[in-house]
Amino acid sequence: MNSLALDLHPPARRRRTLSWFPFAALSPSLLVLSVFFALPMGMMIGMSFTQTETFSPTLEHYQRFFTDGLSLAGFCRTALMSLLVAVSVTVLGYPVAYFLARSTTRWRAVVFALALAPELAGVVLRTYGWLIILEDRGFINDLLLQLGVISSPLPLSKNLFAVVVGLTHVVLPFGILSLMTSIQGIDPNLERAAQMLGASRLAVIRTIVLPLSVPGIVSSMLIAFTMAASAYATPALLGGAGFKVLATMIYEQVLFYIDWPFASVMAMALLLMMLAISFVGVRYESRRRSRASVSSGGER
Amino acid sequence: MGAKRLLASLCLAISGIGSGTAGAETLIINSYGGPYEDIIRERIIEPFEKRFGIDVVYDAVGSAQQDYAKIKATQGRPGFDLVVMTASQSLQGCKDGLLEQLTPSSIPNLNALQGELSAVAGGCGAVHEVQYLSLLYRTDKLASQPTSWSALLDPELNKRVILPTFQNIMAVYLLEMMSVTNGGDLIDNIDPGFDAMAKISAQSVGFEQSSAILESYLREGSVWAMPFWNGRAQLMVDEGLPVDYISPKEGTIPLVATLNIPVGAANKDAARKFIDFFLDKSSQEAWVAGYRVGSARSDISVPEELKDRQLTVGPDGDRLHLPDLLRLQEKLPVWAERWERDVVPNAR
Repeated sequence: MNSLALDLHPPARRRRTLSWFPFAALSPSLLVLSVFFALPMGMMIGMSFTQTETFSPTLEHYQRFFTDGLSLAGFCRTALMSLLVAVSVTVLGYPVAYFLARSTTRWRAVVFALALAPELAGVVLRTYGWLIILEDRGFINDLLLQLGVISSPLPLSKNLFAVVVGLTHVVLPFGILSLMTSIQGIDPNLERAAQMLGASRLAVIRTIVLPLSVPGIVSSMLIAFTMAASAYATPALLGGAGFKVLATMIYEQVLFYIDWPFASVMAMALLLMMLAISFVGVRYESRRRSRASVSSGGER
Repeated sequence: MGAKRLLASLCLAISGIGSGTAGAETLIINSYGGPYEDIIRERIIEPFEKRFGIDVVYDAVGSAQQDYAKIKATQGRPGFDLVVMTASQSLQGCKDGLLEQLTPSSIPNLNALQGELSAVAGGCGAVHEVQYLSLLYRTDKLASQPTSWSALLDPELNKRVILPTFQNIMAVYLLEMMSVTNGGDLIDNIDPGFDAMAKISAQSVGFEQSSAILESYLREGSVWAMPFWNGRAQLMVDEGLPVDYISPKEGTIPLVATLNIPVGAANKDAARKFIDFFLDKSSQEAWVAGYRVGSARSDISVPEELKDRQLTVGPDGDRLHLPDLLRLQEKLPVWAERWERDVVPNAR
């Protein structure tokens, strides 16, 4: 009995120690999140269901969102823009991430610094840089006009193209870091073994590296999509008056029309879009993992 | 106790309260940047500080509408004591109970303002300047001087016009004037205005929100005509640029600028002193001469070169259209949607 009591005592004490420690460790961040995230979020949700003059419950703002034609168009534009940015960031970032994950040359440090360098300048500064390059009177159009290649400026700014270019530049470092971490987790011996067995470099990438780096690809797509969907400065500066996305529309409703309930509806739509995309990504990744574990279990 | 005192001192130091000269009052003014800031500092703020011994902190962040959104979000405690806005925000703020009522008992110079212009701004706004929407154009590019708002539809100006975005009140006033020019009115029959704006949009190079960016197109000559406030247009003329501006024959709409005090302002007395000082005859003369705008005072001396350029409610009553700004404010969300649907897509 004594020995049993002695055996049980230390784990019981450990349990007690563990029971308050996680709460103590989490409480500062929980407090910050509750006050500055959950509370405003709750207020925003409440506001979206409130009538502006009488403060009575209503669905009129949601009805307007779905029927005015402009809000839904802004929603679709935001989704398309974010998807294009997510794809371009992942496609452009993958080779750089692979190089950074596998290279052992001194160029690795240079490429790493170049990949992250855009983050040293602010978003607005970088966006203005693109404006100078892409606008009608900008560098590219000026050059092409002077060379006689074109007779009137190409529409490179104030449209979807310009915003996708600008946002890709802004988000690319995050995509590269996410992909690089994932590729670094793949055992390089797998690639060597495949090459020793006669697989070409391209076949190794296609059949080994790409499938094993899917978690990084999903993560890069999710990061790029959510960052692009919530971006304000780049769409506002490079998109112009004709290219409205949810972030710029929310800004207008808050500051110019002072219609906060309607702005709340738009913010809700943006939030739901990002949650849905995150859900799809996480679900896809967990299914893929469970499929992989089942098939590897079957082989065993 | 010692710890509490230390904490209180730290809080005061961080929030900036108590900074500045010991014993001196501080007045925080929120207004505009650019040439406005330079001129108001030199002609109004510095003489005010000298006369009253009050330190002025100048905050140039935000447009009038953004400042009003801040006042509304903070329920009248935006962190500044005095703000420069327009009659639209003055009326709305008074209606929402977010701006202080201004009376001649504490601001005697309010009695010197023209009644019609004061009425436009309501009881919470002190009208310290009046501009109007003018048609600004390049004298070296146009064959002849325009006389009408319809000149913006002239084929000569194809891809040579730039327009403000709808969030800039200039666009709303231009829409209203195009409506009046084409048989409509300022608010209830606005369809002719939208039809005309759709056509102007088709021959424009696009839209910009900031006045400074709009101005840059005309400066470099890629654009030959645009709507602009007459005060800023006059500053460009004074610079010697090949530009001029007109008040078109169909008339125009004034931009009535106001000084306002949020209800929760910390230094209301200093703010009232500043308003009274700004509305004083000598200050108004200095302001009109410096910023090239009109005044709500009819008893001031105006520089010779500006006399024929300014419009006042008395003699030019038929050329100045005064929309009901509260009704206009109600219409804006609907008009904004229509603008995005019918006008913006026609550009390019």
